[in-house]
Amino acid sequence: MCPVTTTTAAGADGLTKVYGEGEARVVALDDVTVDFHSGQFTAIMGPSGSGKSTLMHCVAGLDTPSSGRVRLGEVDLSGLSDDQLTAVRRDRVGFVFQAFNLLPTLTALENITLPLDLAGRRPDPALVDAIVAAVGLGDRLGHRPAQLSGGQQQRVACARALVTSPDVVFADEPTGALDSRSSAALLALLRRGVDEFGRTVVLVTHDPAAAAYADRVLFLADGRLAGELTEPTANRVLDRMKTLERVA
Amino acid sequence: MWRAMVRDLRAHRGRLAMTLASIVLGVAFVVSSWVLADSTAASVRATDLRSDVDVVVSGHDLTDADLADLAALPGVSAARGVLAGRAALVGADGKLVAGPHDTAGTGWDRTDRFVLTAGREPRGPGEVAAADGTELSTGDTARVFLADGRQVRATVVGTFGYRTVGSEPAPRLAYDQDSARSMFGSYHWIELTGEHIAVPPAPGRQVDTARALGEQATADAEAAAGSTRETLLAFAAVALLVGGFVIANTFAMLVTQRVRQYALLRAVGATRRQVRRAVLGEAAALGAAGATGGVLLGLALAFTALVLAQDDTEFVVSPLGILVGYAVGVGVTVVAAHACARRAATVAPVAALRTDALTPPHRTRRVRVAAGLLLVAAGVATVAATSGVDDLGTTERIVGLVGGIVAWLGVLVLAPELSAALRPVAALLTRLGGPATRLGARNALRDPRRTAATSSALLVGLALVCAFATLGETMVSMFGDTVRATVPATTTVLRPAAGDEPLGTDVLDRVRDTPGVTGAAAQRYGSATVATGGRTTVSAIEPDAFGTLLTPPLVAGTADLRTGFVVGTNEAAMLGVGLGDQVTLDFDGERVTRPVVGLHTTTEAQPLFYLDVAAAPAWLRDRTTTVYATGTDPAAVRTALDRAFAGRPDVRVTDREGVIDEDMGEFAAVLAVMYAMFGAAVVIAIFGVVNTLALSVLERRREIGVLRAVGARRRLVRRAVRVESLVICGYGGITGIVVGVGFGAVMQHVMLGRELFAISVPYLVIGVSLAGMVAVGVLAALWPARRAARTDVLVAIATR
Ligand SMILES: Nc1ncnc2c1ncn2[C@@H]1O[C@H](COP(=O)(O)OP(=O)(O)OP(=O)(O)O)[C@@H](O)[C@H]1O
Ligand SMILES: [Mg+2]
Repeated sequence: MCPVTTTTAAGADGLTKVYGEGEARVVALDDVTVDFHSGQFTAIMGPSGSGKSTLMHCVAGLDTPSSGRVRLGEVDLSGLSDDQLTAVRRDRVGFVFQAFNLLPTLTALENITLPLDLAGRRPDPALVDAIVAAVGLGDRLGHRPAQLSGGQQQRVACARALVTSPDVVFADEPTGALDSRSSAALLALLRRGVDEFGRTVVLVTHDPAAAAYADRVLFLADGRLAGELTEPTANRVLDRMKTLERVA
Repeated sequence: MWRAMVRDLRAHRGRLAMTLASIVLGVAFVVSSWVLADSTAASVRATDLRSDVDVVVSGHDLTDADLADLAALPGVSAARGVLAGRAALVGADGKLVAGPHDTAGTGWDRTDRFVLTAGREPRGPGEVAAADGTELSTGDTARVFLADGRQVRATVVGTFGYRTVGSEPAPRLAYDQDSARSMFGSYHWIELTGEHIAVPPAPGRQVDTARALGEQATADAEAAAGSTRETLLAFAAVALLVGGFVIANTFAMLVTQRVRQYALLRAVGATRRQVRRAVLGEAAALGAAGATGGVLLGLALAFTALVLAQDDTEFVVSPLGILVGYAVGVGVTVVAAHACARRAATVAPVAALRTDALTPPHRTRRVRVAAGLLLVAAGVATVAATSGVDDLGTTERIVGLVGGIVAWLGVLVLAPELSAALRPVAALLTRLGGPATRLGARNALRDPRRTAATSSALLVGLALVCAFATLGETMVSMFGDTVRATVPATTTVLRPAAGDEPLGTDVLDRVRDTPGVTGAAAQRYGSATVATGGRTTVSAIEPDAFGTLLTPPLVAGTADLRTGFVVGTNEAAMLGVGLGDQVTLDFDGERVTRPVVGLHTTTEAQPLFYLDVAAAPAWLRDRTTTVYATGTDPAAVRTALDRAFAGRPDVRVTDREGVIDEDMGEFAAVLAVMYAMFGAAVVIAIFGVVNTLALSVLERRREIGVLRAVGARRRLVRRAVRVESLVICGYGGITGIVVGVGFGAVMQHVMLGRELFAISVPYLVIGVSLAGMVAVGVLAALWPARRAARTDVLVAIATR
């Protein structure tokens, strides 16, 4: 079913994540093997509690798996120290969270270039200009996050995720708190990240319309992979979700 | 609601730790001061006084004839003359032991004065009994110098405990009566026993009943304890003030964090008053907890101090002291939290529903700016108004000082707004530094009120240190200047090796007899009462010495002491007298009236009145305090005098630089104690910085999580917190130093009567303060930075 691809930007082999012990033991991910292909937009869907966020956190180096391996580009994340993981995140990963993405003391532009700053890298002006233009904030780049709308803030976060030219951009329900117009603008921006800037995007979402922006949709249920869809449309995704939830 | 608040308080235990610590320290300071004062007073009260004396007659040169007259008075059943005089004991190291020496020698008698504790009483020449605590025991040799410079050695045959009538100093050595008579000459006082004794008054003679002396002793001790208490409490007040800043700041942060909670309470029906009361209740509970810790710590501190002092002072804890501790702890906390409680009460119920509006409104901003500016302006104007005055009177001095304090308060009130001045600094830091610097600097500026409130504590502490340092440094340089102006470099100075007691009466003559000495004079330093004013200091000196051995800078009139007084300009201004005016000095009953013939510039450390020794009372003439000598070859004179007094541990041969060093050394020790006292305030200020940083870090958990997620290493997070800490400390520190030096200028102006800007800047203390400020910044950030760096990224970014 998978389209033939040359490289994978990130992936997991036999990834298992267990929370708690004894009575409170929860297997959030159960032996998941997955690849995220370079230059593709992948959406992850599944019922609440199915392990989507956990999968993303593990692959992004924010959390450590109980067992299994995680690859980011050609780097194996197992056994890296905190500082090494931090460096990997900074150089190879971009993030967009559902909310609270930006540092309130920095301006929009400073927030965008923050990862470069942290790495001590000079921004590539052409790339920054292009991304900033894509964000479409115009003259509001000098504003603090508090002076921007929720949708604008999320777009700034998205630009920040793209600016380091990471191997993978992870977005966990970035449209969760936005209305449909702001959502569309944000998803279009992520899409352009893939099409124009050649990035790899992994999007966790509950919204079939959002998943329709992706090239591929992976379904998770009870911590396991439960199939995938290529060239999704909102309706096909919705159908698949309904079956999944019925099974669950 | 109460239960909710108490639970909340418990849940925030960690956040309140630093605040609690500052209350504990402040209260501990108060309680230990109180206990120490009570304990010292109680031990004096407890010493048993003599009951075998009814009346004490004292005076200069009491003779056997006086004794016989007094013994013949009706009602007198027994009269005893007490021989006492100078017996300066030489220690095992060949140096004089610490004084007082003036009445350290006495004659043994079988009254209640002495209680033999070992050996036997002295029976003849060459024998002596030593008081307990002198480190002399039976068989040792006691070597003393008498008032006339004679050296006497005697073997210790016994030791004794001593009981006093009142607060007279206890003697150290007791010789047999005949030896004592030959050593000390006249009676120091005469003790009478009997009933209904009426002693006729005579000039220079003082008559007291034993009971009055005893009561006086107790009153003196209590007054001394009271003034110890007041001094210590003044320092404690500074610590409490600084603690108040910390408390206020903590509550400001807690209220901000809990706006939604208050809104919810209001939404479900709590009145404003209930919300305010709840916050105040919380403050009272916190204050009580802190006071409990403070009382315990204070008791422990006082106990340790008493044990370390080893002078078997009784440990007395009065309920009042503990009560005061609690009152102060709870009071300061509630007062400090009051503004925050009111702010919490203004939270509107709708805030519970909104996601923005997370800070309760500050209504007082404009009022605060206006008040602050007004205070600063008024203070500066007041100081300026008094600064032009050359010879300050008492009123101008007090007004000037109040002006300084008012301006200082103004700066404190303005502090949050002044922190806007940090903006360019932060901008610069941002430009120069990396991301950590930028984040840290901006975080420090985020809430100017918080930064200002946090650094105010440091401001107060450091300002006090710098103010006293400025005063001290100015005093030191001024003292040096006056001594250098008054004493020529060619003059050799002889002064007592220990204490302020007079030199041996032989010293002046021996100096005169030393080969090479062509000019020698003695200063007799003492105090007298000015008929129209308070106490003053007088130096009786040979008129010839003026202009040669001693050169006090004359600004008006003549230096001829034969015709009248030469008076310090500042003293003349205080007394309101000028050239030609008659002034009467009262030396314990003997009056000297002369005109003012000259005015000299001086400081309070130098004698204010110069008097011809020929006109001085007879007893003062023998009280040589300093001898000045010179000759055609001053260096040879110095060498000759060094040699002549080599065997005299009671005399120090030195020159003007030696005098400066010695006196300023003592002064530096006093200043050091003062710095240590203000140190408590600085420590509390550090708690404040830690507290603010820790709470800020907690508040910004999410931000830190994002920062970590996008690639900030732990080190960077730590560094950002450290920069924030440094900015806060730097702001408080530098403002504190500036305010301190300014206030120091005002202090030296009003206290020393010098020009406002004629200060010596205490570079050393400022340097240490700056270094300390950086150290505090780094230190205070350690723990909060660690916590910040440990922030769990996943928890921080979790949306629920
Ligand atoms: N820190 C944790 N401790 C214990 N259990 C956890 C923890 N985090 C997640 N889980 C559990 O792991 C499972 C997967 O959680 P995860 O957050 O990955 O789900 P999700 O698919 O992202 O759900 P949602 O769509 O609601 O965000 C859930 O059962 C959850 O309760
Ligand atoms: Mg999730």
